[in-house]
Amino acid sequence: MSLLTILASEAPNGPWLPGDLNEVIWGSLAFLIVFALLWKFAKAPVAKALAGRTQRIADELGEAEQARVAAEAERDRIKAALADSDAEAARIIEDARQSADSLRTDLAARAEAEIVALRERAESDLATTRSQAEADLSGEVSRLALGATEQVVQSTLDDSAQQRLIDDYIRQVGNQN
Amino acid sequence: MSDTRASAYADAALAIASAEGNVAEVTDELFRFGQIVQGNEELRTTLNDPHLPVEKRSQIVEDVLGGRATSTTVSFVSMLVAAGRIHDLPAIAEEVTNRSAASSGETVAEVRSAVALTDAQIAQLAEALSARTNRAITVRNVVDPSVLGGVVTRIGDSVLDGTVRTRLNQLREAF
Repeated sequence: MSLLTILASEAPNGPWLPGDLNEVIWGSLAFLIVFALLWKFAKAPVAKALAGRTQRIADELGEAEQARVAAEAERDRIKAALADSDAEAARIIEDARQSADSLRTDLAARAEAEIVALRERAESDLATTRSQAEADLSGEVSRLALGATEQVVQSTLDDSAQQRLIDDYIRQVGNQN
Repeated sequence: MSDTRASAYADAALAIASAEGNVAEVTDELFRFGQIVQGNEELRTTLNDPHLPVEKRSQIVEDVLGGRATSTTVSFVSMLVAAGRIHDLPAIAEEVTNRSAASSGETVAEVRSAVALTDAQIAQLAEALSARTNRAITVRNVVDPSVLGGVVTRIGDSVLDGTVRTRLNQLREAF
């Protein structure tokens, strides 16, 4: 190549061809030789490299397509799963709402029943307590009255009263004959 | 105390009294002292206290009864004290009274009153009870302050209750 450069630089060049035709010839010959050599020795590796590159690109494109398809499938699966999860969530929420409604109804009914029972029991206890208090009061009044009566009787039972009671008793026994 | 034991002691008391010729006095004294023992827990406990020597307890009997009861009664009660049977004296005395009355064809009427009946009242009551039951009645008066006033008479299973205590109880039950 450096030789062709030296030869070409020996004459002035025209607007279309170098000034020295030999330079053209030798240059072309050298070009052809280089081209032939390249064609002979570099074509296959280059073609192979190109084919390999093409194949690699094709493979990569295929892989990309597969990835895309897989991604779309995954997307569809996720969307479906999301849809299912939404439905499941809705069902769970609905179940929870129904359970809450049922529980609220049961609790309300139970609370109402307990209130009624408590009210009835309180009324019963009140009535019992009232009657017991009345009985206790009556008993206490009776006890106090009898205690007072007993004290009065004891204080009035002097000897003459005792003798009178004994004489009355003897008279009654005699009269019952 | 079993009836058999009370009966045996009553037989012994009546046999001794009969031998001494003072059945009526002994019967009356045993009945009265039996009532005292029954109504006085301290005396009953003291006479029955095994930690006190028998001589000491017998001396208490003689101090209580000496000069106011026949020697037969004092000896019999002392024997009961020595035997540790003084708490059985009321039952024995009742048995003696019943047997003594029965031997003379009489029935014992136990008369409880808050104050002691006079001899005249006892005689009137015995007459009234005899007329009522058509049996000869011997009245044994027991002073029992718990009756408050009036009299209650028990002849066997029959009771004639005219006490203030019973009237108060009836009043209490009526409320």
